[in-house]
Amino acid sequence: MNYTKQIQEIAAKLFAEGKIDVFVGYRMNGFDDNQVPVLITGPQEVSRLVFTDKSVFNLVNYLKTDHTRRKRVGLVVKGCDSRSLNLMLTESQVKRENLYVVGICCEGVVDDAGRKMQNCTECMVPDAVVSDELLGTPSNIGLQPYAVNPDIAVLAEKPLPERAAYFEEVFENCIRCNACRHSCPLCYCAKCCIDQETATLYNGANTTSGAFHALMTWSLHLAGRCVDCRNCEKACPSHLPLHLLHKQNESVIYENFQEHLAGVIPGDRGAFYKYSMQDPDDFIM
Amino acid sequence: METEVKDQLVSIEKPQLIAPPNWEPVIMGILCNWCSYAGSDLTGTSRIQYPPNIRIIRVPCSSRVDPWFLIKSLQTTADGVLVSGCHPGDCHYISGNYYARRRFLVTKKLLNFVGFHEDRIQFSWVSAAEGPKFAKVVNKVTEDIKKLGPLHLYKKENFEK
Amino acid sequence: MSVETFVTDKAGLHKFYEAVMASRETYAPVEKFGKFDFKRVTRLTECDPESPIATTQSIKPLFFPRSAKVMKYLATSAGTEVSEVDEDPLAVKRVILGAKHCDARSLQVLDKVYNWDYIDTDYQKRRENTVIISTRCDQAGTHCFCTSLDYDVENLDAMDVVIVNGADGKIYIKARTPKGENFLTELNTEYRILNIESQMSEEDKYGEMKKQYESFTGSFRLKMDYKEVNAKLSKIFDTPEFENVSGNCVSCNTCAFVCPTCHCFKISDEKVKDTGVRYKSYDSCNNGYFTLMAGGHNPRPVKYRRWRQRAMHKFVYYKERFGENLCVGCGKCTIACPVNISIFEVVNQVSSAAMQE
Repeated sequence: MNYTKQIQEIAAKLFAEGKIDVFVGYRMNGFDDNQVPVLITGPQEVSRLVFTDKSVFNLVNYLKTDHTRRKRVGLVVKGCDSRSLNLMLTESQVKRENLYVVGICCEGVVDDAGRKMQNCTECMVPDAVVSDELLGTPSNIGLQPYAVNPDIAVLAEKPLPERAAYFEEVFENCIRCNACRHSCPLCYCAKCCIDQETATLYNGANTTSGAFHALMTWSLHLAGRCVDCRNCEKACPSHLPLHLLHKQNESVIYENFQEHLAGVIPGDRGAFYKYSMQDPDDFIM
Repeated sequence: METEVKDQLVSIEKPQLIAPPNWEPVIMGILCNWCSYAGSDLTGTSRIQYPPNIRIIRVPCSSRVDPWFLIKSLQTTADGVLVSGCHPGDCHYISGNYYARRRFLVTKKLLNFVGFHEDRIQFSWVSAAEGPKFAKVVNKVTEDIKKLGPLHLYKKENFEK
Repeated sequence: MSVETFVTDKAGLHKFYEAVMASRETYAPVEKFGKFDFKRVTRLTECDPESPIATTQSIKPLFFPRSAKVMKYLATSAGTEVSEVDEDPLAVKRVILGAKHCDARSLQVLDKVYNWDYIDTDYQKRRENTVIISTRCDQAGTHCFCTSLDYDVENLDAMDVVIVNGADGKIYIKARTPKGENFLTELNTEYRILNIESQMSEEDKYGEMKKQYESFTGSFRLKMDYKEVNAKLSKIFDTPEFENVSGNCVSCNTCAFVCPTCHCFKISDEKVKDTGVRYKSYDSCNNGYFTLMAGGHNPRPVKYRRWRQRAMHKFVYYKERFGENLCVGCGKCTIACPVNISIFEVVNQVSSAAMQE
């Protein structure tokens, strides 16, 4: 998977036609073969753009920053990224007419060690669902049976005290830097509820109970919206397995409420913003 | 109501911790204003007895219950939470409890996944006419949580037992 | 000060570590979720004091914890009563194993601010009661640039006890400070684990160390002239280049949380009815709310201004006030950053771009 040339051409063309102010893509990080996001403001920098299977970061995250606000933006999206873009459009966070989206038919990206990312091995939507231009051959894999994430399956089998001890360790290692939240494209609130100074409501202190409170609230706010791009996990300095919380919610939602993943259908809101009469009721007395 | 005094009641999440003698659970009851709260009122006026372990909070609708109400309750005093609302179709705001139902399921499963026993978070539909049902529900929840022992997970400062 | 040298071999070193762990509360790098961090240990098998991989966080959390109780209070209509918090768990006599030079060095930088207008007694107590034992680096990491900064890397006085792999296959355990010396003497009288025999003369050893240093300083990828950078940065407050370098920052604050020298904090109360606990937790100047005032005014509302503050504080303001850079060149921020922004590249890019104007 290498679309470096095509993306450079597209970006150059867009700047030449004056269609965009900023182009968000990837560049080499300058010291090894990994890539970092780059915001390009003029045609002279277009040659820095690259795209290979090392282009991991979800660039939709940059649509919520100062550098792209009220500007016309060109942007590269993979399958999972395009789903988060879809949700941002549905939730009126960006205007479609301000965007030029280069969609990728993704074949999966690899982590620093060169292994395929776990979310790519179980990806159900590799092709970009929102795009002005689609690069690559669409895989058209269509609907697939939903497979529960193996990590979750393993943990769910464990006895309760063991699971509780495992997660206590996870929350104990959280340093509450909130990098997970800041790197999530769907955490766009101008003021996050877990940052409130009102001491009696949310817990501002950097303790284990505070981390539990913050991460649980965060994952429940993303339930039914998380697209499994794993930006949070890549950003976490403590390497916490944050995907466990999201995949758990996703599996419950997929099994009980809807037969599709978040952000796949344009205009479709998160699972918590709608209901059905047939929703399961057997757990309620 | 006399309960059997067991020798060693342990916390189900942390079996190494033993409950103090004569331990009584604290249950947070979050009730919707229009049905369940009125239902609990009826239980009282009908003079049906139910355990005093429940502490009731009145909310406008069961969909007002943000999942962090449950998380916060469990992190502070409560050993268990009961959320109760109108029966499906009876919501004062037409569809509030349908939205709430989805959230409840996901929250319950997530809390169970990170190590809380699933009986610590319980839900019920109680209408304003169901006084006896409310007493039955509170009885069941209290019984369930008495079996689980005190909760020791992620308690905030001042609430560590 | 007579600096005593203990000579030992690999097995003796492990015995030494075990003796240290038996004698005092010990903290050492422990692997968790695929990264190393300093944790309380009791056995050598739990940790890796010689891990070549740098820890994600430095030893800063052991002196300035991510969340510390400041006080407890009871506020009623009758009045407010403040009570002391429980005993500080970090103020006991303890040892840190496996700290890198940059970790130890960062405490010397932090000492200045903690002994400035207000003397932080908690910090002082933790500092006094801690002996830092460290192995000297012999290979630079990808993001290290400590040799480019304004202190002498050959000066190992930041560590109380330093472990050096000698050329003769022996391992030298040297005390560098009176605190370290006392600790070693105490340890040796109590445990008698070391064979004290020094075959090489003082000069030979130091000569050997010097040679090793040359190969060590040669292994750095990142090099800069800090004097030039300091001088340039102090003149270019208004350069638009800050906007360019901060472009792909996601404002995630991780850099400040893992930085060994960042020391900003926020105060938060955890209140229940009348009683409460006041906490002091980490904060970051990259956070949008960091400078937000009551009433809504924010003097640093956009990202590039916050980045400018970060770079300027590290390389200009702190230097002006305390005579040192607020950076030890450990590269932890770059490793932790989701988009690999390096403070080294930022200051270099900004200062060189500003010169071209």
